[in-house]
Amino acid sequence: MIRIEKIQKSYGEGGSSFPVLRGVSLEIPKGDFLVLLGASGSGKTTLLNVISGLERPDGGSVRYGSEELGHLSDAELTRFRRDHIGFIFQQYYLLPGLTVEKNVKMGADLSGNKEYRKIIEAVGLMGKEKKYPHELSGGEQQRVSVARALAKKPEVLFLDEPTGALDEETGRQVLDYIDRLQKEGGFTIVMVTHNANIADMAHRVVRLNSGRIVETYQNKTPKGAYEIGW
Amino acid sequence: MAGIFVVCACAVFVCTLFLNYNLDMVRIRPLLATEIMERLYEALVMTGKVVCAVTGGCLFLTTVVLLCFYIRHYIDAHRRELGILKALGYSSLQIAAGFWKFGLSVLLGCGLGYGLAHGIMPWFYAVQNEDHLLPEIGIRFHPVLLLALVAAPALAFALLSVGYGYRKLGCPVLTLLRGAFAGKLPRSGKERPGKERPFLAELQRSILRQRKTLVFFMAFSAFCFGAMVQMSASMDGLSSAMMAVMMLLIGLILAVVTLFLAATTVVRSNSKNIAVMGAFGYSFRECRRAVLTGYRPFAWLGFLVGTAYQYILLKVMVSVVFAGVEGAPEYKFDVPVFLVTLAAFGILYELVLYGYARKIGRMSVKEVMGDGE
Repeated sequence: MIRIEKIQKSYGEGGSSFPVLRGVSLEIPKGDFLVLLGASGSGKTTLLNVISGLERPDGGSVRYGSEELGHLSDAELTRFRRDHIGFIFQQYYLLPGLTVEKNVKMGADLSGNKEYRKIIEAVGLMGKEKKYPHELSGGEQQRVSVARALAKKPEVLFLDEPTGALDEETGRQVLDYIDRLQKEGGFTIVMVTHNANIADMAHRVVRLNSGRIVETYQNKTPKGAYEIGW
Repeated sequence: MAGIFVVCACAVFVCTLFLNYNLDMVRIRPLLATEIMERLYEALVMTGKVVCAVTGGCLFLTTVVLLCFYIRHYIDAHRRELGILKALGYSSLQIAAGFWKFGLSVLLGCGLGYGLAHGIMPWFYAVQNEDHLLPEIGIRFHPVLLLALVAAPALAFALLSVGYGYRKLGCPVLTLLRGAFAGKLPRSGKERPGKERPFLAELQRSILRQRKTLVFFMAFSAFCFGAMVQMSASMDGLSSAMMAVMMLLIGLILAVVTLFLAATTVVRSNSKNIAVMGAFGYSFRECRRAVLTGYRPFAWLGFLVGTAYQYILLKVMVSVVFAGVEGAPEYKFDVPVFLVTLAAFGILYELVLYGYARKIGRMSVKEVMGDGE
């Protein structure tokens, strides 16, 4: 269980500082598929950064079970991310000089996962292991990014607009892989999106506006990637 | 552009000093009365020629490499903006024409070196004249040197900048617009099948392969340090204390500037990789190992080559310059100087890299996710 309490975060200093998160509280049970939904500037990415330990909040706390992230040093926080967390970014951020296989190994080596090729196969990239990122399409690059994140066997997977740079067809494909792999692996998903249709895939949706939670609702029957609108 | 500025200043400083002296020596040629004076005269002329050819030539080539490196780096860093300009209809030549400004750093560096040389010239001449073995040589201004060592290099490097920029901008507009990656992209199918290595080892290999120029700069920095510092120690006995100090300073400046330039570029060009690795949980130590430590063997190799280079150069110089001269100095490899220089370089190299490693440690992992909302 991840427990987030009264998170405050501002950017800038002194008179020019502006609040991005204004006392956000939230609980994310293990195995949940949570979507943080909101327009640009709503604070959803900052919230994701804070929950995942990429950023420290100005106030409030983030707890993973009994572990309070605010009490960890930078090195301990890095160790924490290494042991528990995976990321998928909108812009993929693959290492350009390394092949698909080696990019996936980046995640796999952190958890001593020797069977990372199975994940490459699971995301439909068999036969492209020796290709470099710039030789792949956007959808394929995002699938490498999915494989890289899952190869480290995370307990919680954070996704920041994972289909933001993809067309509908490849976007659905990537979401379908993520959805299926989550059902198999049972890890927790926290996904940021501005697309309300994608939120239909989640178990639970938290809508943010101006740094506050304005709505939280459960999807009684979450939809598959090919059932949602776009 | 600080690298080019410093290298040019060093090169022109040395060349102006020795060439001006050589040109002024021509006036005393008819006054040489004895065979010893003739030999000493020839030895001094030869020393000036060798020093200018070796220092000037070596630093000229370094400037060419540095300039091309900077221009490529500039184009890589501004691919999108340059792509937009091309897409709007500006020709490659029109855009590249603006690159003449890269020649300004050459002009400023050469100008500084020329000015410094003229500043130190009275002292240099006084030292050369103090043993009274040759008729007194006075300082004269030679406009040809100003033209050859300041104006001509600045013009040549401005033209080189435009030409090289034009060549680099010759790729299709879309290539410029799409790619933000600085460095040569590898192609699949070119890798030899080999044993499977851990990710960090693979990353280290890939970083070294993609930016071979940086490997050269790391090695060159060590080369300069090894060669010039050891050479300066020998110069005290072979030539003069002033030559020794000059060589020492030039060696140190070149080594430090090149080392900083290379290390800054390595860290800057890998900042995204480092940030992603940090987000995934790779420690500061692991990032440092992957990004920086791969250059160490090349630095040591550069040092050893520099040591061999200075030994061979001095050996040849002594045998040519002092051939047949009675009481000519003898040159032998100085083991204690080698060991002290080696230790000093080791300390400098590790300190600089440690500083950059701390920089890596301070990099925000959030960098990869933009500014957030």
